[in-house]
Amino acid sequence: MANIIELKNVCKSFGNIEVLHNIDLTVEEGEVLVVIGPSGSGKSTLIRCINCLEMITSGELLVDTIRIPHERNRVRQIRLEVGMVFQQFNLFPHMTALENVAFGPHKARSVSKKEANEIARDLLNKVGLAEFENKLPGQLSGGQQQRVAIARALAVNPKVMLFDEPTSALDPEMIGEVLDVMKQIARESGMTMVVVTHEMGFASQVGNRLIFMDEGRIVEEGKPQEIMKNPTSERLKEFLAHVKHH
Amino acid sequence: MDFQFSIILESIPTLLEGAKLTWIITLLGISGGMFFGVLAGLGRIAGTEALGEKPHGVFVPISFLIQKISGGYVETVRGTPIIVQAMFLYFAFPMLVKAIMDLERFRIEALTAAVITIMFNAGAYIAEIVRGAVISVDKGLVEAGMSLGITRFQLISHVIGPLALRRMIPPLGNQFIISLKDTSLFIVIGVGELTRQGQEIMASNFRALEIWLTVAIMYLIMTTVLAVTLRTFEKRMKMF
Repeated sequence: MANIIELKNVCKSFGNIEVLHNIDLTVEEGEVLVVIGPSGSGKSTLIRCINCLEMITSGELLVDTIRIPHERNRVRQIRLEVGMVFQQFNLFPHMTALENVAFGPHKARSVSKKEANEIARDLLNKVGLAEFENKLPGQLSGGQQQRVAIARALAVNPKVMLFDEPTSALDPEMIGEVLDVMKQIARESGMTMVVVTHEMGFASQVGNRLIFMDEGRIVEEGKPQEIMKNPTSERLKEFLAHVKHH
Repeated sequence: MDFQFSIILESIPTLLEGAKLTWIITLLGISGGMFFGVLAGLGRIAGTEALGEKPHGVFVPISFLIQKISGGYVETVRGTPIIVQAMFLYFAFPMLVKAIMDLERFRIEALTAAVITIMFNAGAYIAEIVRGAVISVDKGLVEAGMSLGITRFQLISHVIGPLALRRMIPPLGNQFIISLKDTSLFIVIGVGELTRQGQEIMASNFRALEIWLTVAIMYLIMTTVLAVTLRTFEKRMKMF
């Protein structure tokens, strides 16, 4: 399989603070990569660098066929191929569920309004929210909002989906419905996914590969079950012990 | 003290002429003010993440320049009294133009000067209203828009704009009312607006109570119309 994402020697600093140190990482087409690590380890920054919400400070980034920093003016092209789901959902509060999902294909892909609405209905149906299409985000539960947000990202027809702690802001009883939708996407569409999460169950069931980050570095990397069973570094052992206790 | 209702009735046609002029100056002034306000308001935050992608390359100094120009405009207007601005535009500016362009005659109509003054004056305050509303839009929503791959223009017109507009309406209503009342200051450059008309009638019949009461009520009616219009607009928007 070809690499769809490549990071070579990537560093990212905010002012004087370097949050990513010399990251080398590749993601193959169709792969589900899970990123774990303690808070402040740089995992969110890492995936935000992939769709250029954060511009890398140095190193090289390749997404699909676009190279950063050489083709900085093609950032929008990257975003068309890379969808993102945020921890805080970030649905547009002035648009209904349907309008939220149809917005991307209609505006970014220049699909006709009618066709965009069809795409949106189809996706809302897939995430189990067909009957909520006319609701505003404020009228939906957290889990429902996040499922709409996943549909919104999928509607642009990206090649890669990034998930930035998609269940961390949810009430416990709503985590399952969101994870189920993510599993379904991974299994049915063979979508390339990069998922930052603390859901170890999801990681071992769906993830093809897992990386553990700490202090801006990738500390361990491998098959999720193996890594979780036999962590080699002290830091990962400690981290897993903490996660399991909750 | 004798209060004569007939004085009011007699003065109404003339005062209405003045009120009409007040309306014209206000409406043209705040329309232009909205234009300059949006321009300068966005200009002051050009190149910041409040408006999406941060610039790179040549766009860095360009947005810096736009910020400085917009900021200079806002600070200059806010830092000087509107009456001084009107006098400057009506009396001083033509002299300046004549000297620089070497012209025999150049003057600005009082009414034109009044409209332009309100435009620039309201524009500066509206710029701050626009800026405040835009930077208060949740950064996550801006990022969500960006992550869909839309253009900056689409981001501003469909995400940032509509969300900011909802927050702008109450302070805009405030500013529109202030601008309407500010037109009374153009008495100093001889524009025949409502206050000027009242003053002239007063000077001929000395009926201060009847005249200023009528003038005050007319202002109150006009500001109420503005306030109600904005409130209706606010109610009709999809809220969340």
